[in-house]
Amino acid sequence: MKEVKVEVIGPEPPCMRCQAAKKAVEKATEKLKQADIMVDIKKINIMSKEAVQKYGVLVSPAIAINGTIKIMGRVPSPEEVEKLIMEAAK
Amino acid sequence: MEEKTKRAIRAGVILAFIIVVISLLIYSRIMAYSFAPQSKQVDLRGLPIWQIPITYLIDYFSHGTVCLLFAFTVAGLIYEFVPKETITKYMGSSKAVGYVLALAMAPFLTVCSCTMVPLFGGVLYAGAGIGPAITFLLMAPAANILTILLTGEMISWEVAGVRIIASATVAVAAGIIISKTPWGKAVEEEHQVANAASASAKLEIVKPPLDERLWAALKFAGYLAKQILPFFILGLIAVSYVEAFLPEDIVGTYLTGVTGILIASVLGGPLYTPTLVEVVLGKAMWDLGMSKGALLSWLMGQPYDVANALAVSRIAKWKVVLTYMLIAWAGSVTFGLLYGVLSGSL
Repeated sequence: MKEVKVEVIGPEPPCMRCQAAKKAVEKATEKLKQADIMVDIKKINIMSKEAVQKYGVLVSPAIAINGTIKIMGRVPSPEEVEKLIMEAAK
Repeated sequence: MEEKTKRAIRAGVILAFIIVVISLLIYSRIMAYSFAPQSKQVDLRGLPIWQIPITYLIDYFSHGTVCLLFAFTVAGLIYEFVPKETITKYMGSSKAVGYVLALAMAPFLTVCSCTMVPLFGGVLYAGAGIGPAITFLLMAPAANILTILLTGEMISWEVAGVRIIASATVAVAAGIIISKTPWGKAVEEEHQVANAASASAKLEIVKPPLDERLWAALKFAGYLAKQILPFFILGLIAVSYVEAFLPEDIVGTYLTGVTGILIASVLGGPLYTPTLVEVVLGKAMWDLGMSKGALLSWLMGQPYDVANALAVSRIAKWKVVLTYMLIAWAGSVTFGLLYGVLSGSL
């Protein structure tokens, strides 16, 4: 069993596109359960010091996988997220 | 191999659509076809009260659809293909770079209002400080692609150009002034995050294949349209009544000269006009006799609207918000007067 950390970074309260991004991650997570990959999803406020300290200036929505920003300023498809998480789990 | 051809075909179809949209706009330009509604006050006033907005909407969309389609498509494309990670990397780096980037990039990064306030926060936290952050905040709504395209197509490209220059000047002035005030410095110190810039090493942006990016651009254009059009249509309904019932002599008396600029600049802010409606409403009042100077002041009223200020005041202190609103207001009056005098339409 492998674990991958995914952070969805967006404003608080969430905007529509960030919710869409989160949904894509959640959908990918469902599928990946079968491949024996555990995904730990965390929602991070883009305006928090934590986020800025870690990643600098971002365009929302952004998705970080295992601490690296992979997607910024766009909503990915669940399939794309799935692929990215698979790669990270290797 | 088959996957590759499929992708190429899909990209080709989307590209063809984009080319059609662009050539439609060029075609209508060549044919000197107007994008603005043609209804005149006399035509509208004779109609039953319920029919006024319907007539006006039909009139608007029979002329403006190409322009809207173009504006949304281009906004979606630019937003998708602008190298966001390069910009954000440098935005937080230093003050001078921060100002330049804030000015140059605000129009491209912020077609969606929900990215604006977070970016303001990001720029402020990450080291460029409060000056560029304020510049960015003021520049974004005043000069995003949608607004500029619509101002240019519906009113005139001269007004659109002046609007960009005036907004940029005011935005930089406000940024510099606020970064010098004690309350501005206080906010900056409070929010500064140490060594945030080094974090840019952790970016490994993944780029999907071209057809997916093009599709994403169109999808984003559709999203923008869905967000903006309902308000836009409501706004148009309001505009139709203004066009029908606002007497020309009232516009002539109150919306020209120095008073006109003062009134237009004050109305433009607190009277929150959702994005793009201010363009149509401005056009309607201009038709009724508002001076060019007052028109510019009116259009520049956007950045200090109340909704925007509320969102910002959650990060920055109200004193900062008040200062930038005051500067933006003074700027819109100054440039209104200047443009009025220079263009001979005060």
